[in-house]
Amino acid sequence: MAREASTIKTRNRLNRGDGGWAYAFIAVALVVYAMFTAYPVISAFIISFQNYQPLGSTYVGFENYENVFKSALFWKAMGNTVIYTLLTVPVALLLSFGVAILIMPLRKWMQTSFKAIYYLPAVASGVALSVVWLWIFDPMQGGILNQLLGAFGIPSQNWLGSSSTSMFSLVLMSWLSSHGTSIIIYVAALLGIDNSYYEAADIDGASFLQKMWHIVIPCLKPTTLFLLVTGVIGSFQVFQNAYLMTGGGPDHSTTMVGLLIFDTAFKYFEFGDAAAQSLVLALVIAIMAFVQFKFLGKDVEY
Amino acid sequence: MTKRSRLTASVLALTVAAGVLGACGSNNGNEPAGNAAGNTGGEGAAAAKDTITALLPPVSANFQANFKQMETEFNKQYPNLTLKIEPASWEDMTQKLDTQVNAGSPPDIAFMGSEGIAKYVPMGMVMDIKDVVTPEMIADFDEGPLKYMYNGEGLFGFPAYMEVHAIGGNKPFLEEAGIDWKKIQQSGWTFDEFREAIKKGVVKEGDTTKRYGFVFATAGVTSKDYLGILVKNAGMPAAFDKDLKYAYTSKNYLTLLTNIRQMIDDGSMPKELSSIDAGKRWNMFLTGQTMITGKGMAVFENSSRLNNEKLDANDGSAVKDSIKTDYVVLPVPSFAGQPAVANAIVDGYVTFRGKKEPTAEHKANVAKAAYFLASGQVAATTNSELFSAPITKSSREAMKSIESKQSDYNKAAVEHLLSTAAPARPDIPAELAAKAIKLETEVIVPKLQSLLAGETTPEKMYEDVKKAAIDTFGADGVVQD
Repeated sequence: MAREASTIKTRNRLNRGDGGWAYAFIAVALVVYAMFTAYPVISAFIISFQNYQPLGSTYVGFENYENVFKSALFWKAMGNTVIYTLLTVPVALLLSFGVAILIMPLRKWMQTSFKAIYYLPAVASGVALSVVWLWIFDPMQGGILNQLLGAFGIPSQNWLGSSSTSMFSLVLMSWLSSHGTSIIIYVAALLGIDNSYYEAADIDGASFLQKMWHIVIPCLKPTTLFLLVTGVIGSFQVFQNAYLMTGGGPDHSTTMVGLLIFDTAFKYFEFGDAAAQSLVLALVIAIMAFVQFKFLGKDVEY
Repeated sequence: MTKRSRLTASVLALTVAAGVLGACGSNNGNEPAGNAAGNTGGEGAAAAKDTITALLPPVSANFQANFKQMETEFNKQYPNLTLKIEPASWEDMTQKLDTQVNAGSPPDIAFMGSEGIAKYVPMGMVMDIKDVVTPEMIADFDEGPLKYMYNGEGLFGFPAYMEVHAIGGNKPFLEEAGIDWKKIQQSGWTFDEFREAIKKGVVKEGDTTKRYGFVFATAGVTSKDYLGILVKNAGMPAAFDKDLKYAYTSKNYLTLLTNIRQMIDDGSMPKELSSIDAGKRWNMFLTGQTMITGKGMAVFENSSRLNNEKLDANDGSAVKDSIKTDYVVLPVPSFAGQPAVANAIVDGYVTFRGKKEPTAEHKANVAKAAYFLASGQVAATTNSELFSAPITKSSREAMKSIESKQSDYNKAAVEHLLSTAAPARPDIPAELAAKAIKLETEVIVPKLQSLLAGETTPEKMYEDVKKAAIDTFGADGVVQD
């Protein structure tokens, strides 16, 4: 009995000791999280109720939120962001999935080469990519895309300068770049599907499409849900493309919420309004993610 | 894990955590060196040591290359003072400064346009140096440019140069079109005369336009420049009239918008104008795709000359497909029968303060540093590289030893334009100026982009701007003629 008690005492002491070390180790991550994530969020929450000034802010209650909800520009930006998300995220998933399926049967070294090629834009500077796209969207007759259209007898387009084509131009840019991460995730998920499923399907005489529908797509559902949720979140936060390519114009046809928040904060120094806009955006994103998990994640097993 | 390695690891972990906490501490590292020194400097002797920080972009070609020399020269002049210059690119400058300002720790001096002062006044972050500048410093500056650095009664730095943003033509093309550019340089032109001239400058091959009469950069934020430069010549030299009523609701504004659209509809300007950025329109000038370009600055003569030299030397770095050009400074035409008013740009060294109240001694030291940068040899070198006229007696003197490559006729044209420059408006309250900037960014620029793209009419844009202006300033706060 005494021996048993001694063993427990020793174990507790050991556990307590390891717990202490664990706290010391996670302190780094915890401090970094607290300083660079939790603190800015809490700070933004506080600022959203203030008229922020570096030399002393004043409490204004819900005035900033009222400004946000009454602003026609905020709702227009929100509408633009939703349109951009609807046009880009599903296509991005389809393209990534398609490319991953095409890569799968290849030899290992070719798979790796293709994955590297598709991932390359993710490591390239967004600014450099935008410069290339500006070149592609050159509105004059000598512009690359206009020359291409000219070959089919289609007149030149003012891609970024016209409200009718500016959003499409940003969407096209998104369609044709930055699928590397999703492709790698899909390929990894495809590799995780047990071969016995395919063997059983072969025995039953299933076609390629039947295997796709009954094996691949269900097995990839968790991956697709993950990419959908992160894609929607990323798309709602889109800023760089609009900022560098159109500046939100013409006539706010490409002003996204992210760009509006930036303008509110750094052009007008209305940090209170900007913080309120950010938190409303965060809430919208959280609701979107919740709805996606609620309705699409029902039968997903992780 | 052994006891020793656990100890080592935990020490390292805690060191990193403490480092992060220390680096993010709010009141030590973020306070500018200058302000920190300034806050303690007041108690010591007159020659107490102090550091002045400056955030400076590449103002002219060799400006940033001379930073070390500037710091040394300043220290030689004021042995107790250290000038610490932080370089920034033009692209990063505003964002970097705004971040520092909003964190309450800006540099002591930042280079920026004088119109930006109004943005920082309501925040209380720009530093009024009126009480610490010496009469000698003030006397060195030309009165006109210096006034641009005032807001209300406060003086918030010193001007580096005053230059005119106008338009510029390619001499051979102007002469080919029969345009008497020498006369126009001195006498100006009306919109109708200008409209006819740019029509003559158009060269077509079948349905394809090989050369436009006039191309102005209007993509994105440059559309603000386009309207801003033209509107001064339409009877609205500032966004507010003398009674502080918002001016862009005047009927002259509608006339201007109509004229802007007419130039595109005539085919004298490209229909894709709304997507042409600053780089593209300069490329179009150098490659002979336009007769007149905008906005035009005096220094473009130098860019044109350098490209010509490269073409002569068969240098591969010459602009692709470029031809030899001869840049001629031209005034912007006048609209709606109003007098021509040149768009003067005064950029300078604006003085800032941190969260803590700076001492009088530190303020005086910052003023010394701003004056050092804005006058004498430093200003002379900058002005010479930018082809801009000196605005201090000391830099005029220093410029005598610097050889100018600017042509006499362009020099005379710039001087003439400066004589018609819009006067500074320090009387416009910062709150009104901030509202006007917001109106410009949220309504005018987006609507102008639509107008240029042919998606709205001048009348519709005018009504939209007028409605937004009345919403912002009230019916009594806008011009109604």
